Amino acid sequence: MLEVKGLCKHFGGIRAVDNCSFTVERGSITALIGPNGAGKTTAFNCISRTTRPTSGEVWLDGERIDHLRPHRITRLGLSRTFQISRNLADMTVLENVIAQSRVEGWRDLFKPAMSSSEIDKAMGLLDFLGITRIAHEDGSNLSYGQKKLMDLAALLMSDPKIILLDEPAGGVNPSLLEEIVGHIRRLNDQGLTVLIVEHNMDLIMRLSHRIVVMAQGTVIADGRPDEVRENPAVLDAYLGGVLEEAA
Amino acid sequence: MTMSLDQTSSVLAARKAHNEKLAARADKTRAVWFPWTVLALFLALPALQFVGNYNYVLHLVLFTACYVTMASGWNILGGFTGYISLGHNVFFAIGGYFAGMILARYGISTILLAPLAGVVCAAFGYLIGRVTLKTRGPSFIISSLALVMIARILFDHWSFVGGANGVALPATELPLAWAKLPYYYAFVVLAAFSVWASYKIKHSKFGLGLRAISKDEIKAESAGIDTRTYKVLAFAISGAFVGMAGAIWGEYLTYIRPNIFLLILVSVNMVLMCILGGKGTVAGPVIGAVLIVIFNELFVATLGASEINILATGAVMALALMFFPLGIVGTLARSGRLPRVLNWD
Repeated sequence: MLEVKGLCKHFGGIRAVDNCSFTVERGSITALIGPNGAGKTTAFNCISRTTRPTSGEVWLDGERIDHLRPHRITRLGLSRTFQISRNLADMTVLENVIAQSRVEGWRDLFKPAMSSSEIDKAMGLLDFLGITRIAHEDGSNLSYGQKKLMDLAALLMSDPKIILLDEPAGGVNPSLLEEIVGHIRRLNDQGLTVLIVEHNMDLIMRLSHRIVVMAQGTVIADGRPDEVRENPAVLDAYLGGVLEEAA
Repeated sequence: MTMSLDQTSSVLAARKAHNEKLAARADKTRAVWFPWTVLALFLALPALQFVGNYNYVLHLVLFTACYVTMASGWNILGGFTGYISLGHNVFFAIGGYFAGMILARYGISTILLAPLAGVVCAAFGYLIGRVTLKTRGPSFIISSLALVMIARILFDHWSFVGGANGVALPATELPLAWAKLPYYYAFVVLAAFSVWASYKIKHSKFGLGLRAISKDEIKAESAGIDTRTYKVLAFAISGAFVGMAGAIWGEYLTYIRPNIFLLILVSVNMVLMCILGGKGTVAGPVIGAVLIVIFNELFVATLGASEINILATGAVMALALMFFPLGIVGTLARSGRLPRVLNWD
C-alpha cells in the first residue's frame, strides 16, 4: 500500500536518511524502529512531505506522492501525528478535531466552520477514544496524554487509509499506554493500515505484524517481530541492550 | 477496550444536554442588539445637521469608520492568520488611486467605484501574496515594509498620476452642511460590512483554517489545509477592504497624493488599533479604532499639534498593553469578563 524506494534526505553533509526502502502492507501494523538518530522521524517527515526528500520515491496505492504538498497527501488518505504533540492552542478540542475534516473546493470554504454532521462525527471519535468530556476544553489546557488522544481523534477525522504515528506512547503513563494500544489495535481491526515509530519495544513486539529496523539512515532488517529479534545486525545496532530486555 | 461501551443512550443524552447548556451560555454572553443599535444611531446621526453645524462630529465618525474598515480588513490577515503586515497602506493607495483616477477622468463617483477598487486590490493582494507569503515571521514583516517603499517610489515618480504632487479631484457640489453626507454613509456602511464579513469569515471553514495556520502552520498543513491558498486568499480579502476605504477616502479629501496614502503612520495605525483592541477578535479592531481616534483628538485638543500629543498617545498605548496584553477584547474574553455588548465573536 505504501512503498518507499531509495529515500534519501541529506542535511548538508549529514545523511539523515540514506537510501531507505521498505513497504507497508495493506491492513498491517508496521513498526519503524531504530536507535536514536537512525532517521526514523526524518523518514516519516519525508513520507508526509513535512520535509522535502533529497531523492527517492514514495508511492501510495500506486500513486507517486513524494512531490505533492502535505495537504494533498492528507487528502489522498495518509495522515500523521507528530512526536511532540502539536495542537492548536486557543482552539477547543472539538475545533482542533474538526479543523482536520475535509474541505473540498471554493464553496466549502465559506460554509459554517462546524456543521452539525461534523460535530456528530467528531464527538463520535472523541467518544471512541473516551474523551468526550474534554470536547469543549481549550486545547492548551490538556494534559500530555489527552493531547495524544486528541491528535489521534483529529487524525481519524480526515478519513485516512493509512496513519503514521510518531511515538504515540512517548511520555504517557502505563495505563494510558494500554488504552492507546487498544485503540490502535481496534482501528487496525477495522481495516486501517498503521505505520508506527516507537521506542517502547514492549509495545512494538505486542502490536506490530512487521518491523522495519533502521540504523544510520538505512534499513538494516525487515521482518516479523520474532525474526527481527534474532537478527544479529539488529542486536548489534542496539548494542545488545533494549531488545533482550523486552524479550 | 472499555471505552467503546460509551455509545449508550444515556451518554448521548447527557452530551446533548451539555451542548445545549453551552449554546445557552453563549447566548447569554452575547448581546446582538448592541452593534445593530450603534449602527442605527450612526445612520440617524446626520439629522443633527438640521439643528446646527455638527460637521466636526460627522467627520470624526467618518474618520473612525474608515479606520474600522481598514483595521478589520488588516485583522483578517494579521489577526486570524497571524501574518503581521506593515504594508497594508499600499492597498489604501491602490484603491485610492484606482478610483481617484477614474473619477478625475470620467467623473464616476468613487462610492460607486469602491467595490471595483476592492476587486482590483484583491487581485494585487493575490499576486503580492503569492510572493511575500512564502516568508514567515520577521521576514514577512520586512517584506511588507519593502512593499511600502517600492510603492512609494513608484507613485512618487509615475507622472500619469501626478508623481509626488498627486492629482486634485473634483469637489462635491452639495451645500456645506450636507457635503460630508455621501462619504459619511459610505464609510459607515463599509465599516458595518467589514465587521459583518470578518464575523462570517471567522466562523467559516476558511476562518477555522486561518486560525489553525496562525497557531501552527506545519500542523495545519498536515491536517489537510491548503495553507498557501488560504494565506494568499486572506491577504487578498484583507487588501480588498483597505482598498475600498482608500477609494472613498481620496474623493473625500478631494486629493490623491502619495504622502496621504503611503505614510507608514497609516499602516501602523491599523496594526496598533488591532493590537489595542485585540487582534483575532471581531470587536477588537472596532474598539481599537474608536479608542485611538478618541485619544488622538483629545491630545491634539489639549496638548496642541506638537509632538507631545503623539507621545501621549504612545504612553496610553503602552499602559493599555501592560494591563491588556492580548488587547482589550482579547484579554477580557480570556478572563471571562468581557461585557456582553462587546462579545461579537
